[in-house]
Amino acid sequence: MARYALYRIGLTLPLLIGAALLIFVAGRMAPGDPVAIRLGDHYDEAAARAIRRELGLDQPIWLQFVRYVAGAARGDFGESFISPGRRISGIVRQTLPLSLRLTALAVACAAVVGLTLGVVGSAAARSRLDRVLQVLVVVALSVPNFVVAALLVLVFALWIRALPVAGLSTWQSHVLPVVVLAVAPTAYITRISRTSMLQVMAEDYIRTARSKGLPRPRVVFRHVLKNAALPIVTTIGLAFGYTLTGSFIVEIVFNIPGMARVGVEGILQRDYTVIQAVVLIYTSLFILVNLIVDLSYAFFNPRIRY
Amino acid sequence: MHSSTLVSATSQTVPAAPPRRRSVWAFFRRDPAAAAAALYLVVIVLVALAAPLVTPYAYDKQDLDATLRGPHRGHLLGTDNLGRDVLSRVAFGARISLSVAVIAVGAEIVVGTLWGTLAGLVGGRVDAWMMRVVDLLIAFPSLLLAILITGIFGPSLINIIVALVATAWPGMTRVVRSEVVALREREFVEAARAAGASTRRIVGRHLLPNVLHLVAARSTLDVSAIILIEAALSFVGVGVQPPRPSWGLMINEAFPYLRSQPYLLAFPAAVLSLVVISLNVFGEALADALDPYRRRR
Repeated sequence: MARYALYRIGLTLPLLIGAALLIFVAGRMAPGDPVAIRLGDHYDEAAARAIRRELGLDQPIWLQFVRYVAGAARGDFGESFISPGRRISGIVRQTLPLSLRLTALAVACAAVVGLTLGVVGSAAARSRLDRVLQVLVVVALSVPNFVVAALLVLVFALWIRALPVAGLSTWQSHVLPVVVLAVAPTAYITRISRTSMLQVMAEDYIRTARSKGLPRPRVVFRHVLKNAALPIVTTIGLAFGYTLTGSFIVEIVFNIPGMARVGVEGILQRDYTVIQAVVLIYTSLFILVNLIVDLSYAFFNPRIRY
Repeated sequence: MHSSTLVSATSQTVPAAPPRRRSVWAFFRRDPAAAAAALYLVVIVLVALAAPLVTPYAYDKQDLDATLRGPHRGHLLGTDNLGRDVLSRVAFGARISLSVAVIAVGAEIVVGTLWGTLAGLVGGRVDAWMMRVVDLLIAFPSLLLAILITGIFGPSLINIIVALVATAWPGMTRVVRSEVVALREREFVEAARAAGASTRRIVGRHLLPNVLHLVAARSTLDVSAIILIEAALSFVGVGVQPPRPSWGLMINEAFPYLRSQPYLLAFPAAVLSLVVISLNVFGEALADALDPYRRRR
């Protein structure tokens, strides 16, 4: 286990550094000169040189990258490109917890509901209920989340007026954003858990368990679910990625001051350093969650050893 | 392994292998949902192709005396906040969304197949490095990667397409490479090599034809994924730029009028959602029908 964990972590580090490199290079290739923006009309060579030295832009490019990664690892992403002096780390500290809370809530809901629906669907395989669930899964995976958001806002906030349209102050205001974030991951988890359960149900040892007289619910929960858990765990990890990207839509639609909205505002203002920071943080989170999923996978399944 | 479980999850109807000609017909008769999906897609594609002929107005023709009118004669789907005809914009939106998606998927097929075949064929250290690049791109959540590209380099149509290809080709490469690696060791390839066939012939006659079904199935499903990402980009504001219509952009523009003019949301949202649903339904049916292993069962 420990050896596998080390090996898997060893695979993750280059991935993180590679992602940082890609983001760093993209930022350097972006049009526009940060020094010119800072100086505006007061541009002259001497001042530009001074700022370049101050920002470390006169150093060789590889050293700049090393410093960028070292800074990012400490949570320091430099300053905003558009409004110099505004530290990005401060923005992140303010907005990231909010986004993570929504994401965690959504993934938790998706896991619980998806797993339940998947178990129900597999237990009643090919029944009418199962077929309806299957259709709903395809629909939920296909309809874009901003359409789902628009429909829910229309019905629950504008027509029935049961829930607030925007903001994130009360628990009621969490409902719509979390539901919108959770729809696609729920469908995905439902589908995978149903398939995984059905595969295990076809195994010989399940028939043995049934034929030696164990009651059906006991077989489903003790034998099938336990053995079907691995793909489901992986899917929950992937669902985290879905939700992270979904938050870009949801935070705009519901006017939530989270980090994805900071990223989108950064894009619209062409604030490259902010875009870089947001993409780097979310991608790192995604990579780390996948690492955790893989490690738990190995933990649950002793057959996985490298 | 994942893609195959995904596919088997939804489709109970598995078309058997009928003789060539009638197989298309049999395929649809066994799976009416896939037939309906295909029909809808054909209609949308025709509308997209014939958009300038079938639409009553230009997509950017403003009529500021007739803004935010509901559906009526003259404007069958109503007008938006600038008095532009919604029907014309939905039709031209099909043109833009579909052409961007088709070009992106075409490029994805070329890049993914070349990269995957080359990596699988050469093997060794080159293969390992080529696949590290793929791993790196897959490590990004796809919408984020697309946002990074269009957000930094600007949302021109070319950059949007580049961004969409960047999200899609690594997945295609993995599919192609793993199949090529498996096929390379099979007896018929060995036999061809023993008989003195050139690498080029082995690739062209033995490897590519046998990965084609995977490429076809994967790319159909990727069209829907790509349309979704383009819609999300346009919705966020880093995709197709106004006054050009894209479904995602139209839905964004409909938000301020959600309560008073819900039809502004309804039409682009319905058309877009149905396109993605149809592509997924058809794509999964296609994956089932083209899978040689599934067929034998």
